[in-house]
Amino acid sequence: MSTARRLFFCALALTAGWPALGAADGTKHDLYLTANLSGQAGVLGRSGPALNGLYRSTDRATFEHLGPHHIRLFTLTSDPAERGTLYVAALDGVLRTRDGGKSWRTLTSWDMTEPKEIAFDPHAPGRIYASLPDGIALSTDHGQTWQRGNEGIRQAYTHAIIVDRTQAGRVLAGTEKGIFLSEDGAKSWRLVQATDKVTYDLKQSPHDPKVFLAVTSSNGALWSGDGGRTWTRIAGISTANTLHYADFDVHDANRLLVCGWNTGLQLSEDGGKTWTDRGAGLPNRDVWSAAFDPDAAGRIFAAPQLAPLHVSEDNGRTWRPVQFEKATVFDLVFLPRP
Amino acid sequence: MNPRCFFILLAGLFGTAGLSAQPSFTGAAPVPGVVQDAAVRRADYLQRRAEVLQWRVGLVKPGEPATFGLGEIAAKLALHQDAEACSARLIELMQKPSGDMFWMFPVTCISYLGRDQLTPAAKAAVREAWRTYFPLRGDTENHWTMYYTTLYLMAQLWPDEPGERWFNGKSSAEITAESRAWLLQWMDLTTTIGQGEYDCTHYIGEYSIPMLYLATWAQDPAMRQRGRMMLDYVMADYTVETLNGIYVGAHARTDDVTVLEKWNGLASFFGWMMLGNCPPPANYGGWGLFFAVVAENYELPEVIYRIGTDRNGSYTHFERKRTRHRWRNSDVRNAPVYKTTHVTSDYALGSDQGGLLQPIQQHSWDLTWAVPDPRGVHNTIFSTQPFYGAEELMMYFTEMPDSMPAAVTFQGKPTYIAESKLLGGSPYEQIFQQDDTLISLTDVADTAPHKQVNGFFSKDLTRIEEDASGWIFAQGGKAYIAYRPLAAYEWRPIEKGGKRLYSPHAKNGTILQAAAASEFKGWDDFKARIRALPLEIKLTPAPRVAFTSLRGRKIECAYGAAPRVDGRTIDYAKEWKLFSGPYLNADIGSRRLTMTHGRLTRVLDFNTLTITDAVRP
Repeated sequence: MSTARRLFFCALALTAGWPALGAADGTKHDLYLTANLSGQAGVLGRSGPALNGLYRSTDRATFEHLGPHHIRLFTLTSDPAERGTLYVAALDGVLRTRDGGKSWRTLTSWDMTEPKEIAFDPHAPGRIYASLPDGIALSTDHGQTWQRGNEGIRQAYTHAIIVDRTQAGRVLAGTEKGIFLSEDGAKSWRLVQATDKVTYDLKQSPHDPKVFLAVTSSNGALWSGDGGRTWTRIAGISTANTLHYADFDVHDANRLLVCGWNTGLQLSEDGGKTWTDRGAGLPNRDVWSAAFDPDAAGRIFAAPQLAPLHVSEDNGRTWRPVQFEKATVFDLVFLPRP
Repeated sequence: MNPRCFFILLAGLFGTAGLSAQPSFTGAAPVPGVVQDAAVRRADYLQRRAEVLQWRVGLVKPGEPATFGLGEIAAKLALHQDAEACSARLIELMQKPSGDMFWMFPVTCISYLGRDQLTPAAKAAVREAWRTYFPLRGDTENHWTMYYTTLYLMAQLWPDEPGERWFNGKSSAEITAESRAWLLQWMDLTTTIGQGEYDCTHYIGEYSIPMLYLATWAQDPAMRQRGRMMLDYVMADYTVETLNGIYVGAHARTDDVTVLEKWNGLASFFGWMMLGNCPPPANYGGWGLFFAVVAENYELPEVIYRIGTDRNGSYTHFERKRTRHRWRNSDVRNAPVYKTTHVTSDYALGSDQGGLLQPIQQHSWDLTWAVPDPRGVHNTIFSTQPFYGAEELMMYFTEMPDSMPAAVTFQGKPTYIAESKLLGGSPYEQIFQQDDTLISLTDVADTAPHKQVNGFFSKDLTRIEEDASGWIFAQGGKAYIAYRPLAAYEWRPIEKGGKRLYSPHAKNGTILQAAAASEFKGWDDFKARIRALPLEIKLTPAPRVAFTSLRGRKIECAYGAAPRVDGRTIDYAKEWKLFSGPYLNADIGSRRLTMTHGRLTRVLDFNTLTITDAVRP
């Protein structure tokens, strides 16, 4: 570790004498990050010395590298039937580890590249969907084999994918042309909301399963109150910028956030009717990902572009750096502790 | 500073073991010609290989491990030198692998070269690295070619191993099957609808080196044969579009240096090595070493050699390629690319049809003139419509849009967003070429980042005259050039020399007519002949040109419409084959390339995996 980096983390640790945020207080979730620490110059062939890849924090203060040293791990999830098994959408395909990152297996082959999200169907063990730049992949055997499942979607770049937790085989996909819905396990799809460009994230409310939130590249944020059948644009969110990420607060049904490029972090505490800019305390307004901590009300983690991961204990009113010097964190996810 | 002076300065800095030991780079330029005796050609080729290896082993300085890297190990093993030292150093280097597929192919090369030389401990260190280091597969065709070729060969080296022994958790059998499937698919695409990263001034190495490795080390005779045939294919594709070894015309990818100094790319390493008609680039192009170490396992077929060196007059060559995979903003996965290249002994004019055919480093057209020594010479003239944007990058990459343009400028492409850029394609440019006449039209949208045309005028043009007629007359080498900007312009300096024609008008374009000086009584005769050519230009509502060329062809181009020649509408989709011309011919979908030179014919048939040579009596 360089002297500068040591000093940086010493300074982080000394500031306000932060305790570990969650270790001893009965947390039920671990925080996982997919981080590129090589900076903008970190391209293929020059991965650099920083340990990129998947990190885990069990106490919200220290972060353990789980591997692999990889600059393009996009998102992750765990198998609901086997919580210790992690699935990562990476440049190389869908990766899986069953031993906490000691070893990995690339589940997909040459014909499926650069998945961006992975979603399990909680009602169909082993059934996985992956969004691909040329469509949607489906596995029914925990990723051992894959098939295509994007019939009916033209210009099929797909970024976001989510399974409705109330009904097996009901899937929403955020594509280049809009939001598509399948109610037969990806056998067929229908467009439920056209967009001008890509839909980058889809989230289902933990409070009301009929409520979904979508964020897009040029149509702002979209709200559905009927399980994704119809959508309306959220008036308080600009359409001028690409939005990357959305989240619902498990502690408060009316609190939600969106973040993105030149957007900072926008927070609503009235179910999306009005929004407040809570990005002022972050080092820049280009935010890759942000999430509420399910184990601590008021706590939000946010990942600004090429900056430290930040945390807020007061719903974004104030922020402080918590880890890394110059990171691009594509995804930060709280997963139930196995 | 003159680039050649810069190289000489570098040579001084590196001392006796460095660049000074590159005799073909620092010495006199070869005089282009034909070596008739095949045995002499072979001996020359092997001597060049030896020069590369000697230079590389000479870089190792005792007591300085940093000078003893994978390249030096490969060179020493190829020469059967210092196996113990190579083994010890290899063990050290395997502790911190880095470079993804650019690490995989040197290590694969070393593993095969060292099969009977490396110590068991060194082999074990390599084996362990392939278990613990997770190289990225990448997101371009050249990445995947390196990745899957090396995985194929390493799985062959370590067969029957379970997934636990490999970084990706797949067994040797699974890796073999996946690698083979991708390689066959890539070969099939290339021989049916064209290469995606076509005609690259640097990345030609990232295709030819893996193919040489397959040709050399694949145990499966079919894969070995495929490697050999694809290497022939790539070399023929390159050779037919060379002017004294320099890769000319339109490229899927080139770079800010090579786009001006046309010789200064890895492609010229192959010109030097195979054709012997140009100097090698500094450090033999960098990756050239990894071809040289096993170069004795390849012999350029005589028909390809003669296509590159023994030409009977001028010719026009046509090619159809494809774009890289398009992920967004397109209805098609791989759009067709239509190339035209006209080659004479004095100059070559080459082009594609314009548009966004590749991200970032596309070069759509230029005229290159022959020079006795290309080192440091900007022997080219062209124009571009400078464009950049997230839309282009989203089309060819799957990343989030907003961070990409800035990231590209950090990642070795510093001019990407610059208004002065001379590299890259534009969605607002349409190009048509007939023989040695070219018309480029631009109609730039209001939303475009730059609404202008940049014309490159080299420091090495021996004349530039702005004529009252609107033509700019220039001379490069023995080529006379008539360049017609379609809208008002001014001149701006270029840091590397020469000047930029800056024409800040959205409705715009360029006409270029080339000719050999020997065709005219003199300079004034050339100018008079050009002035007399019928020419109509209209810029509104959309740019339109009707021009009768020096060759007597009436060319009509209108932005947004198909070009017409002598009243006939050009249908690219019907008329452009995979290859057509006097030397290379292949139909779309055929998997069959016929190479012809004089009495010689070689047919590469990927349907039957056969190579058929014939000599007409």
